Amino acid sequence: MLAGMERSTPHAVALSGLRKSYGERTAVAGIDLLIAPGEVVALLGPNGAGKSTTVDMMLGLTPPDSGGITLFGADPRRALADGVVGAMLQDVTLLEDATVREILTMIASMHRAPMPVAGALRLAGIGELAERRAARLSGGQTQRVRLAMALVPDPGLLVLDEPTAVMDVTARRAFWHAMGAFAASGRTVLFTTHYLEEAEAHAGRVVLMRDGTIVADGPVGAVMARVGGRTVTALVPGVRPPELLALPGVVGAEPAGDGHRVVLRCSDSDGALRALLARHPGARDVEIRSASLEEAFVLLTGANLAGEEVAAR
Amino acid sequence: MRGGYLRFEVRRALRDSRFLVFAVALPVGLFVLLSRLYQSQGATPAYLMSGLAAFGAVKAALDTGARTAVERGAGWQRQLRLTPLSGAGYLAAKGAVAMLVALPPVAGVALMAALTAGVRLPADAWAQAVLGTWLGTVPFALLGLLVGQLCSARNVQTYQGGVLLLLGFVGGLLIPVASFPPVLAGAARALPSYWLAEIGHGAVSGSGGPGPAPVVLAAYTVALGVAVVVRYRRDGARA
Repeated sequence: MLAGMERSTPHAVALSGLRKSYGERTAVAGIDLLIAPGEVVALLGPNGAGKSTTVDMMLGLTPPDSGGITLFGADPRRALADGVVGAMLQDVTLLEDATVREILTMIASMHRAPMPVAGALRLAGIGELAERRAARLSGGQTQRVRLAMALVPDPGLLVLDEPTAVMDVTARRAFWHAMGAFAASGRTVLFTTHYLEEAEAHAGRVVLMRDGTIVADGPVGAVMARVGGRTVTALVPGVRPPELLALPGVVGAEPAGDGHRVVLRCSDSDGALRALLARHPGARDVEIRSASLEEAFVLLTGANLAGEEVAAR
Repeated sequence: MRGGYLRFEVRRALRDSRFLVFAVALPVGLFVLLSRLYQSQGATPAYLMSGLAAFGAVKAALDTGARTAVERGAGWQRQLRLTPLSGAGYLAAKGAVAMLVALPPVAGVALMAALTAGVRLPADAWAQAVLGTWLGTVPFALLGLLVGQLCSARNVQTYQGGVLLLLGFVGGLLIPVASFPPVLAGAARALPSYWLAEIGHGAVSGSGGPGPAPVVLAAYTVALGVAVVVRYRRDGARA
């Protein structure tokens, strides 16, 4: 179907019409996604959006009900066997009785052209843990060992499902440092995360999923612009928020968190501000901000991203 | 390609010295105990040796295979599915390790029988009693893998213990079948463990060959092998 194009410039990831249901519940409702080699892509969505099911299908762990998947032009099993794809899954614990080096050596031994084990250890920033038994690793260390396991095949595509979910802030920073070193060599990375600032900081492109479909896909800035670019927050005495909707360039108006001010979501913040000050001279405490990815997310998916994580931050 | 994984698993198995020591000590200890106990009832040490060597091998092979339930529960099998290792390669390596740890108990019981109970056999009978019994353990290694694929990490010990008791007691490895009531003796002949012990019994009785035991055990091997592979494939689809 895609054969002609695929052969000349194979996408790192090509999903077409991908669907998966579990009984009555539709986990993935027909998604198309093309990722070019060298892209770093964040896959975002609330719990149950279908991110993990998509990742599982990409890795050949779950067969899709219908649709096509190729990774660098090959089917997932083939790509994994060739060491073209490295992956970090959620909820995999390591064998407690094996050392880090033994696990990595074992995985390397199965691949044709692996990265040297020492190189994978260094890249993951865990050179000093090589002789440690897995039972004696902290949560953050375990995640970086699992990153090293994904790196050892020396893959062109790295797939990470919630890689930093159990890490503290320091461990997350170390993890992304290791990841950045890998991505800088021109490799393709696809990761899912609950942390929007991780997507903002580390991905060149974000894909937002909701209810098994892709609701937004593009560069971080473009996705944020889709919700109206900037917001104007101001104290406007004696005026209720809905009345401000009449201002030019304003697409949304609601009370701010402090209960006094009003937040105006704008398609044209300059025009909105001029009109605001002209028509309501009493307006003060004005603040203009770019929309955050989190606001974009809430608007586009209608959900607070896994509520607890976002709220806790 | 498979060699690296097999080496990894063998190292893990050999490192678990507590497991290995217990795997040998249990059947050897039972041999010492039971050979005294049954002396008055006409069961010779050589006859008991066959049953307990088989018991030790069955227990070691079954335990090793069943432990895959823990790895499966921890997501480790999912991790391995991301490597070039095939399902066949994984199962073959696990089966090979189960066979490896099944050898010391057989050898240990035979050694104890020769050294302390005065069991004397011609060389070919020793070979049949030790190597024959060991090779006959293959279906039990597969049974262990099947239990490991079917059970959760939480309940695997219960099922594995139950299977071992059934195979050990009803199969006549711990109590001579000759002392069974007829119905139970009939049931014993349906179990693969009975036929595993028959390999040794044939060797020590001087009657020569192992009789139909190899055929029965081969049939169990095929049936259990198919079951393990089918189950492993199904498990791959787990979300």
